[in-house]
Amino acid sequence: MTEFVSTSYNLEYPYQRTTGPVTGPFLTGLRDGKLLGIRCGDKVLCPPLEFDPDTLAELEPDFVEVGPGGTVENWTWVSEPTRKHPLQEPFAFATIKVDGSDTPMIHAIKASSVDVMERGLRVQAMYREERVGAISDVYFMPESEAYDQKIPKGKGDVPISEHLISLDFEENFAPTRRRYLEGLQAGKFIGQKSPASGKVYIPSKGYDPIERVAMTEADDVEIGFKGTVTTFTVITPVAYYGQEETEPYIRASVLLDDSDTPLGQQDIRNIPIDDFRAGMRVEAIFRPENERDFDGIDNRWGGTGGVIERWEPTGEPDVPFEVFSEHVY
Amino acid sequence: MANRQGTEDIAIVAVAQTPSYRAYQETEPLLLMSLTNEILTETGLERNDIDFTIAGSCDYLSGLPFAFVSNVDGFGAWPPVYESHLEMDGAWALFEAIVRLQMGDIDTALVAGSGKSSPGRPREIFALQTNPYYHAPIGLDPISMAGLQANAMLDAGKATEADFAEVVSRSRRDGLKNPFAQVAKDVSVDDLLAEPYHTQPLRKHDLPPISDGASMLLLARGDRARELTDKPVWITGIDHRMESSHPGLRDLTVSASTKIAADNLGIDGGAFDVAELCVRYSPEELLLKEALALTDSVRINPSGGPLCGHPVMATGLTRVCEAARLIRKGEAGTALAHAASGAALQQNLICTMKGDA
Amino acid sequence: MERCAVIGIGQTKYAKRHEITMDGLVRWAAKNALEDAQLDWKDIDAVVIGKAPDALEGVMMPELSLADALGAIGKPIHRVHTAGSVGASTAISAATLIESGMYDTVLTVGYEKQSDGNATWALGGGRSGSQGAGGSFAPWIRKYIMGSGAPPEVGIKVAVKDRLNALRNPNAHLHLYDITEEKVRESPMLWDPLHFLESCPSSDGAAAMVLSNKAGVEKSPNKPAWVIAHAKRTEFTQFPGRDTVKPQAGVDCAEALYKKAGITNPRKQIDCAEIYVPFSWYEPMWLEGHLITPEKEGWKMTLEGATEITGDFPVNMSGGVLSSNPIGASGMIRCLEAANQVRGTAGEYQIDGARVALGHAYGGAANYFAMWIVSSDPDPTF
Repeated sequence: MTEFVSTSYNLEYPYQRTTGPVTGPFLTGLRDGKLLGIRCGDKVLCPPLEFDPDTLAELEPDFVEVGPGGTVENWTWVSEPTRKHPLQEPFAFATIKVDGSDTPMIHAIKASSVDVMERGLRVQAMYREERVGAISDVYFMPESEAYDQKIPKGKGDVPISEHLISLDFEENFAPTRRRYLEGLQAGKFIGQKSPASGKVYIPSKGYDPIERVAMTEADDVEIGFKGTVTTFTVITPVAYYGQEETEPYIRASVLLDDSDTPLGQQDIRNIPIDDFRAGMRVEAIFRPENERDFDGIDNRWGGTGGVIERWEPTGEPDVPFEVFSEHVY
Repeated sequence: MANRQGTEDIAIVAVAQTPSYRAYQETEPLLLMSLTNEILTETGLERNDIDFTIAGSCDYLSGLPFAFVSNVDGFGAWPPVYESHLEMDGAWALFEAIVRLQMGDIDTALVAGSGKSSPGRPREIFALQTNPYYHAPIGLDPISMAGLQANAMLDAGKATEADFAEVVSRSRRDGLKNPFAQVAKDVSVDDLLAEPYHTQPLRKHDLPPISDGASMLLLARGDRARELTDKPVWITGIDHRMESSHPGLRDLTVSASTKIAADNLGIDGGAFDVAELCVRYSPEELLLKEALALTDSVRINPSGGPLCGHPVMATGLTRVCEAARLIRKGEAGTALAHAASGAALQQNLICTMKGDA
Repeated sequence: MERCAVIGIGQTKYAKRHEITMDGLVRWAAKNALEDAQLDWKDIDAVVIGKAPDALEGVMMPELSLADALGAIGKPIHRVHTAGSVGASTAISAATLIESGMYDTVLTVGYEKQSDGNATWALGGGRSGSQGAGGSFAPWIRKYIMGSGAPPEVGIKVAVKDRLNALRNPNAHLHLYDITEEKVRESPMLWDPLHFLESCPSSDGAAAMVLSNKAGVEKSPNKPAWVIAHAKRTEFTQFPGRDTVKPQAGVDCAEALYKKAGITNPRKQIDCAEIYVPFSWYEPMWLEGHLITPEKEGWKMTLEGATEITGDFPVNMSGGVLSSNPIGASGMIRCLEAANQVRGTAGEYQIDGARVALGHAYGGAANYFAMWIVSSDPDPTF
């Protein structure tokens, strides 16, 4: 018996950032173990910018090597690094004026302790063993703690810098959604009937938006398993990061009898595509209780996850278009 | 450079806010729905009596692209309504609403800000606001930036750690009187200073709590304002300004954009009874006080401010609501509200207001 | 109320852009718009940007990181987000800054850099099994076809028309020189009944306009496009009995727009239109949905060639969203291309003598609408 307490999900994508004519060479430089600044009038900017911050004119990709030493102008000590920080033990984020640059950069300093941190601290650029042409290839250490590195030059340029963004979220199921899930687990469709309008919502979001009324457990209603297909499409899956689908399948909306909002996102794989039509009468067949999978249902996404085994045509006559067309979404 | 204030008289005629929750158990649309109903009940208006609706929220807080679309359920949109949305704090939605009412052809605007920070990890998420090549990939987060700003102020001799603790002590004590506050307590400066650093020189209590919440207000123009309330709070000015996203190019010991906004509005820092400022990190109060040239006679954050509750995307609008509420209660005649966005006060908005004499 | 006009237009070439950054993309469009208006960055009082969900690029609240590139340091800058309609909502927001009398000259930019991420992934909320936008709209298109009796070739005709128009537009993403009805019909069926070639591309791009008031127009070198009217309407995405084919919000938006403009017969009084058609069938659906033609007649307008460049109600002369779709920019491109028409700057896809043009966008679950009317005449009568 699953307890529906919280739902968690991960938003993750490896973004491919095009680096352009200025950031590209800078990141390529990092991969090759050097810091580059860009000339801007009689100044040098590191990290380089694509244009002059004062005049807004585009800057020519005219680079000069800077560093590897630099001076700390300001710092803060991160005693509890996040998983996204470049160092996973306590470290300093600092404003560092790299030697030869007129503007400072912000980056991480790996220091033995907060006690060595001070304005004016001399630091040295250090490079990771695995470098990919990203800002995380470099970090800094106090000169007194740094050591020499031999960084082999890589091949080619870095026109694209990858940034894998991965964020985790977790929140409790809202009460209405929790009861809906408990209903599915018990093999039932639990919707809610608005005390203001009498309309039946399934799955309900816990309120009647038209009357602006919150709904409670007292408004829960059990709905039968038969319904009408109100519309559908056939999806041919597109490949993308994280995509698991490969074969074409029907995605339909089914309006359960005695409800006023159709169940969307019903994936149909047991009825031949050529036989499928809007207006068809179907009945939900649930999976055996211990095979029901509630993935994909959370406070925002409704649907029925992996709870329904299939929609079985009932053989009843099709419902006419004018009757079901009001409930397409 | 034209940034005029417009000729129409626009007033706040109703305000509503939810408490700041550590984790609100229902959904964001319900948070908003409760406020919509509260304002409609208070003013006696029907939903379609409101001419324009605009909200601020941020999809990334809940990690769902298009999360803001469900929030429409909270305002009501049937029959269809004239509405818009910014992916910013509700204070900027207020800006757009004021601009819209200045056109003089509509009379009322409903403004909202909302957000649930509890589902995600804000310190990770907010790093994504920074430069996508140089800072986001090393997770440069607002707390670290606030730490840099705080240290810069200490180094420059513009503040001491005790000054930071004073802000926290006063704010969290004031929060005890605020029924919407999430974190409020009576704690002395000495006790605060005895706590260990979190992101040195900031201590944990120098940071805002993680909150869920929403706020909303109704604006009305001219005569319509007087029809809807006998305690209108007139907007006397609004302005917002941005600074560079390259922190190395900024002087973190001043709030330059706040000063530009203040100068454009021609405000006199001694002329306000109350200032509700977006102080998420205690040092920000000192920076803002200086940029706004607030004199010691101005009561700062009588609500306790964001240190007592920080429903991101509502926090700025909530400052406006708190200031307006005080004026409507007759406890202040003039007020300034401030909102901020981005790390280390990168972008700032000021809204000034006054009650009837 | 102050008057507002478009005095400068700038666009990037829409395509996958691998050689520049997002900064470079928006600057390009913004600079082109400034050059068109013969203004400099310092002449801009405020900036309004718009784009679709941040997850498309993985940059949160990009006004913060793009302000430098757009010369917005020290200025007001804000960012609108109304899903697919955002480009038009942003143009409207920028117009209100002028019409309020609070700002003289405003730069507005809509953009998207979809090649950095993946649109289908983002549009599906970052999950597997995303049906993309097409999968959401295909069932409603099916309902339109069933209800209107339209023959299947209608969608295919739109797909060909818009791509042929795009051949006249150097900025368009898709230049499908060999497009034919047969090619469209034979392309894979991604979301039945939509073929692959009936669907929009995933593009990178930025579109910008400089807006100003009467004083600014007097100083500007080129013909202005006066903003005559604008309207937005929103409804819930889902509720019992919702009409997703002819949403009430779309009808209300059009009615409000025409009323403000003084238009009583849109088909006759509007010379041409840039309508947000990301999937072919949305052309006839919006012709009906925005009261340009009666219900069930939209597909007839398409079939009889009325919406061709040579027809009496040209639609998407630029190639439309079917030829270029950087989502955050697309709505602005519609507004901007309408302005191009009445300024006489639409080059090879110019409708001769276009005096009044419609720019339109929709978004979300077809629950957001934003539209504007521009004219070469500051006070057109009808």
